[in-house]
Amino acid sequence: MTDLLKENKLLDAITTSFKIEGKVIRDHRVEVNADKNTVSSILLFVKNQLGYIHLAHMTCVDWIDQGEYEMIYTVYSPVDKITLFVKARIDREKPIMENIDTIWDQANTYEREMREMFGIEFPGLIGEHDFILEDWDQIPPMRKEFDTHKYAAETFFTRPGREDAKDVREEINKRSGAKVPDFAKKYSRE
Amino acid sequence: MVREKETTLYLGPQHPGITGNMMVKLKVQGDTVVSASTHVGYLHRAFEKLIERRNWIQAFTLLCRFCVPEPDPMELTYARAVEELDNREVPERAKYIRVIVMELARMQSFMLWYAGQSGSAGLYLTPQWSVGDRNYILDLFEDLTGGRIYHMYIWPGGVRRDLPKGWTDKTLRTMDYIEKRLDEYNKILFDNTIFQKRAQGVGIVPKDKAIEWGVVGPVLRGTGIRSDVRIDEPYEVYDKIDFDIPTQEGGDVWARALVRKEEVRQSIRIIRQAIADMPEGEYYNKVSNPMKWTVPAGQAWARTESVRGEIGFHVTSDGGNKPYRVHVKGAAYTHGVTVLEKILPGQNIADVSFILNSLGVCPPEIER
Repeated sequence: MTDLLKENKLLDAITTSFKIEGKVIRDHRVEVNADKNTVSSILLFVKNQLGYIHLAHMTCVDWIDQGEYEMIYTVYSPVDKITLFVKARIDREKPIMENIDTIWDQANTYEREMREMFGIEFPGLIGEHDFILEDWDQIPPMRKEFDTHKYAAETFFTRPGREDAKDVREEINKRSGAKVPDFAKKYSRE
Repeated sequence: MVREKETTLYLGPQHPGITGNMMVKLKVQGDTVVSASTHVGYLHRAFEKLIERRNWIQAFTLLCRFCVPEPDPMELTYARAVEELDNREVPERAKYIRVIVMELARMQSFMLWYAGQSGSAGLYLTPQWSVGDRNYILDLFEDLTGGRIYHMYIWPGGVRRDLPKGWTDKTLRTMDYIEKRLDEYNKILFDNTIFQKRAQGVGIVPKDKAIEWGVVGPVLRGTGIRSDVRIDEPYEVYDKIDFDIPTQEGGDVWARALVRKEEVRQSIRIIRQAIADMPEGEYYNKVSNPMKWTVPAGQAWARTESVRGEIGFHVTSDGGNKPYRVHVKGAAYTHGVTVLEKILPGQNIADVSFILNSLGVCPPEIER
């Protein structure tokens, strides 16, 4: 059992500097819950003062029932070997989040993806608008209310004979008149 | 001095030098790249969205396809994240089996890298050899899992079935064979002047910027930084196994090639130790009914060292029988966009594919 000394020290450093809540999840894992306007200050602080120089991951979780997006910034210190999660909630109807690609260049890729997939605006974000989706005219597809089944049914045509996802063997049988072998009987052990 | 006109060159989306469909838009002056930008979108299959519609186990059929050359690290990372959420113990034997599978996966992926790297330098004998030898590793996977490329073998709670009879002996024989072949590979690739001249001083990733740019894996170790998830945050039984983390100075294609060359030998060393030390016993902490299995609400972040570097899965559960959100970050996400765009200016057009291969860019992993 580790004593989590380094983890607690990191948590104290952030929570006392920014007056925010957080917890040690387990060894190597610490999380803090920040206000959306202080995220970039926290990230700058941990990067420049505490050595959390690797932006390991950025993600967004759509909590549709709560009307919020949860932004999660995962940073890692190669010295402490601790992963820190900085979490912040934003309104999902008018989602605007601080742009951090001035802190880490690679954040630009994540932010361009989130702009397309969740419709989050990052003021000052540089980069061509279409990153993955081209000429997309629907709601951002990773939002929970986007119905993939409905979209597929409305957008793509069905192959003749598969309108109601019939058994393809029956359809071949009907069209060609050929006898479809009864596989269950043929390979039965009895 | 003659001023040459700047022209635009599109490398891809179909190009033999790119492992998957991706386009690199190059601005060139003569033979020299002035600027580069990555364009993806040819392989988007909405896997992360589709996973939200499937239960925890069905997700495996999708997530092993995030990156074709490396299905196993994806399975393991997801399984570890789900195990953390579910607080599910993994039997000791399964941990050893997982390590063996991961190192075999590293070796087969190395063989593909070897083919791509030498092929993009115009050396066509090495791809024939390495893709041929890779089949011996795929044979082992077929014996173990029934599938050659996609296995869906690692599950939350362990692995799906135990090792078949005689499999470890066959694996050890294959390791002996591949170890001998590696000496021959050295002669035809690493001792080859063409490869040395093409690789040295090309595609340099600066050491002081590497971590900030999100560089991971052999590319990071090629700059002299000793970083590997297997030692930084040991998972499974990597902390019980004795192996080295090779590093090189320089940060160029040559340094990355030397790192990989040594890593595959370390993989053989790990597999031999894991087979020798593997205990008997259970291999699967069974989920009672996988189709109705619910995972407690929460979030977990798991990371694993793949052949191209750190792979991370961020998994969110709302307590239901389906993942609420799964987000994967592979090495290609930074290597294929930010890092590539930064190191290509100033390089020769002929070296672009060569550099792409050495960075381990896997386009399907960028857009998923």
